[in-house]
Amino acid sequence: MCEQVKILVIDDEQIIRDGCSRILSKDGWGVITAENGNQGLNIIQEKLESLDVILLDLMMPGMNGMEVLEKALSICPNLLIIVITGYATVESAVEAMKKGAYDFISKPFTPDQLRIVVKRALERRALQKEAELLRLERERTLRDIATEKSRIKTIINCMVDGILVCDRESCIVLCNPAATLMLKSSESNLLGKSLSQCNLPIELSNIIEEGLRANERGYTSVSHELTIGETYLRAHTAPVRNDLGEVIGSVTVLQDISHLKELDRMKSEFIAMVTHELRAPIAAIEQQLTVLLNKIAGELTEKQEKILLRAKERVKGLLDLIKDLLDLSKIEAGKMVQYKEPLYLGEVIQKVVDLMRVDAEQKKIDLQLFLPDEISIINADRNSMEGIFTNLISNAIKYTPEGGRVSITLSEEGSFVKSQVSDTGIGIKKEDLPRIFDKFYRVKTSQTRQIVGTGLGLSIVKSIVDAHMGSISVESEEGKGTTFTILLPKG
Amino acid sequence: MAKKILIVDDDPDLVEAVSMILESKNYEVSAAYGGIEGLQKAKTENPDLIVLDVMMPDKDGYAVCKELKADPELSKIPVLLLTAVVSKIPTTRYTQQMGLETEADDYIDKPVEPEVLVKRIEALLTK
Repeated sequence: MCEQVKILVIDDEQIIRDGCSRILSKDGWGVITAENGNQGLNIIQEKLESLDVILLDLMMPGMNGMEVLEKALSICPNLLIIVITGYATVESAVEAMKKGAYDFISKPFTPDQLRIVVKRALERRALQKEAELLRLERERTLRDIATEKSRIKTIINCMVDGILVCDRESCIVLCNPAATLMLKSSESNLLGKSLSQCNLPIELSNIIEEGLRANERGYTSVSHELTIGETYLRAHTAPVRNDLGEVIGSVTVLQDISHLKELDRMKSEFIAMVTHELRAPIAAIEQQLTVLLNKIAGELTEKQEKILLRAKERVKGLLDLIKDLLDLSKIEAGKMVQYKEPLYLGEVIQKVVDLMRVDAEQKKIDLQLFLPDEISIINADRNSMEGIFTNLISNAIKYTPEGGRVSITLSEEGSFVKSQVSDTGIGIKKEDLPRIFDKFYRVKTSQTRQIVGTGLGLSIVKSIVDAHMGSISVESEEGKGTTFTILLPKG
Repeated sequence: MAKKILIVDDDPDLVEAVSMILESKNYEVSAAYGGIEGLQKAKTENPDLIVLDVMMPDKDGYAVCKELKADPELSKIPVLLLTAVVSKIPTTRYTQQMGLETEADDYIDKPVEPEVLVKRIEALLTK
C-alpha cells in the first residue's frame, strides 16, 4: 500500500511550477502547486499529513520565501523543504539551511538535478516515516507492558491461593494479600525480608530453601502440608530458572486446605457414628440367629436351618464390613497406630500363622513360615501388625486352591525389615493390580464370586503400612500366584 | 441347686438370647438393662456370676466392674466381660489390658457361641 508521494511546489513563476509538475509527475509523484506564500501555507496547513516534500522559491513577491519557510517549520518542524534560489545566491541558501531547510537547488536547474534533490529528500522522508512508525510501535509496546504488568498484578492480588516469590538469596520479592493472610503476617513484614527474618513456620522456610537448592535441570516441585494455628496449608514450591538453567529464585503457592481437612474429619466421624449405630443391632441379630441355630429355642426343620444358616452368614458379612469400616476410619483419624513400641516382627507373624493354621489345614494348604535367626526390631503398633498379617495370610489362603502353598518369609533389606507373603493361588490380572489397594475394590472373576469379602482389607493393610512410613507392593501372575512385599523401617 | 447368673446389657434382645442359652444349660438367670441397675441387682439378687456388657450408656462395664471389685461383699463374684468386637484387627491385647485393669475375671467377644460361653462360665464357677 504505497501511498502516492505528494510534492508541493511554491513558486510565483508559472514556468517553474509547470516545469516541476511535468518532470516530477513523470516519475509517478503527485504534485500540487501554489503561486504565492500564503497559498502555500494554506495548503501546508490543510494537507500536512500527506505532504512529503516542499519545493519553495525564496524570491517571491508578497510574503518572501524565507518567511514562508519559518512559518511552515513552525507548523511542523519535520517538514522537508527544498529551497529554490536564484543563480549563485549561496548566502540565502545557507541562511535558509540554517533556518531548517533540508536542501537547496539553484535556478536554473536541469530535470535531473531536480530529480536528484527531490529523490534524496524523499529518501529522508522515508526514514522519517519509518522512525515515526518505530516510535509509535515502541510506545505501544511500553503501554502493553504496563498493561500486562498491571494485569498480572491484579491477577496475583485477586488470587485465593497465596503466592510467595523469593530470589536466590531467599529474600521475599513478591507476596500477594492471600499469602500474607494465610501466614498471618503483613506485606511490610514479608516483602524485602529474608526468610529467616520473617518468622515463617519452619517447615515452610525449609521447603522454600529446598526449592532454591534444586540443581538438576528440569521441572522440580516440592509439595508439603503444614499447619499454622487452626489453619492447614498445602505449599507447592518450584524453582525459577534463567536461560542458562540456573536457579534464580523460587515461587511458592500456598493453598488453604482447612475446609478439606474439616470435611475429611466429618466424614470419618460420620462413618464411625453410623457404623457404631449399625453394629449393635446387627450383633444382636447374629446372637439371636445363634440361639435359633443351636436349637435352644426349639427344634428346626432342615429347611429352616438352611435358611437361618445362610442368614447368619450374611449377617456375619455385614458385621465384617462394619469392623473394616471402623478400622479404616480409626486408621485415617490416626487413632489406630498410637501405641508404637519396639517389636520383633517374627514373633507377631508366628502368632498369626499359628492362628491361621486351622484354616490352612482345612483347605489342605501347606502354610510355611521362614524366620531368620536374627532380625532387627521395628517400631510399630502390635495390633496393627497382627492386622496386616491376618489380612494378607487369610487372603492368601482364601484365594489359593486346595493343595496349594502359602509361604511367609522375613528378611532385612537395607534399613528396612522385609516381609513377604506368597501364595500359589489364582493370581491377579495385570489390569486389576493398580487398584487392589483402593477402598471397596474387589477383583470380579468367576473364581472370586464365591469368596466373601468387603473389599476393604487391602486398603486397611496399606493404610497401616503408610502410617508406619513403610511401603507395600504386589507382584502377581494369573494362575500362578501372588506375592505381597512389605518394607517397614527398622526401629 | 442351680447357679444364678446376672446378665447386664442394655440391649434387651441380646439379654434374651444370652438368657436362653444359659437357661438351656439349667442356670437361673436374672437380667439388668443398664450399668446402674446391674450394680443394684448384684447386691440384691446375690448372683454366683455376672455377665457384664462393656458398652452401656448410663455406666459402662469397666466402671461397673471397678465398683463391684471395690465392694468387699461383691468382689468375690466372678465377672465375665462381654466385649463387642469393634475391629477386625485383633484387639485381644487391648481388651486383656482393660480387663486386667478392671479386674474382670474373663472376657468374651459378642456375639457369643453357646458352647464357648458355657465353657467359660463353668471354668469361672469351679475356680
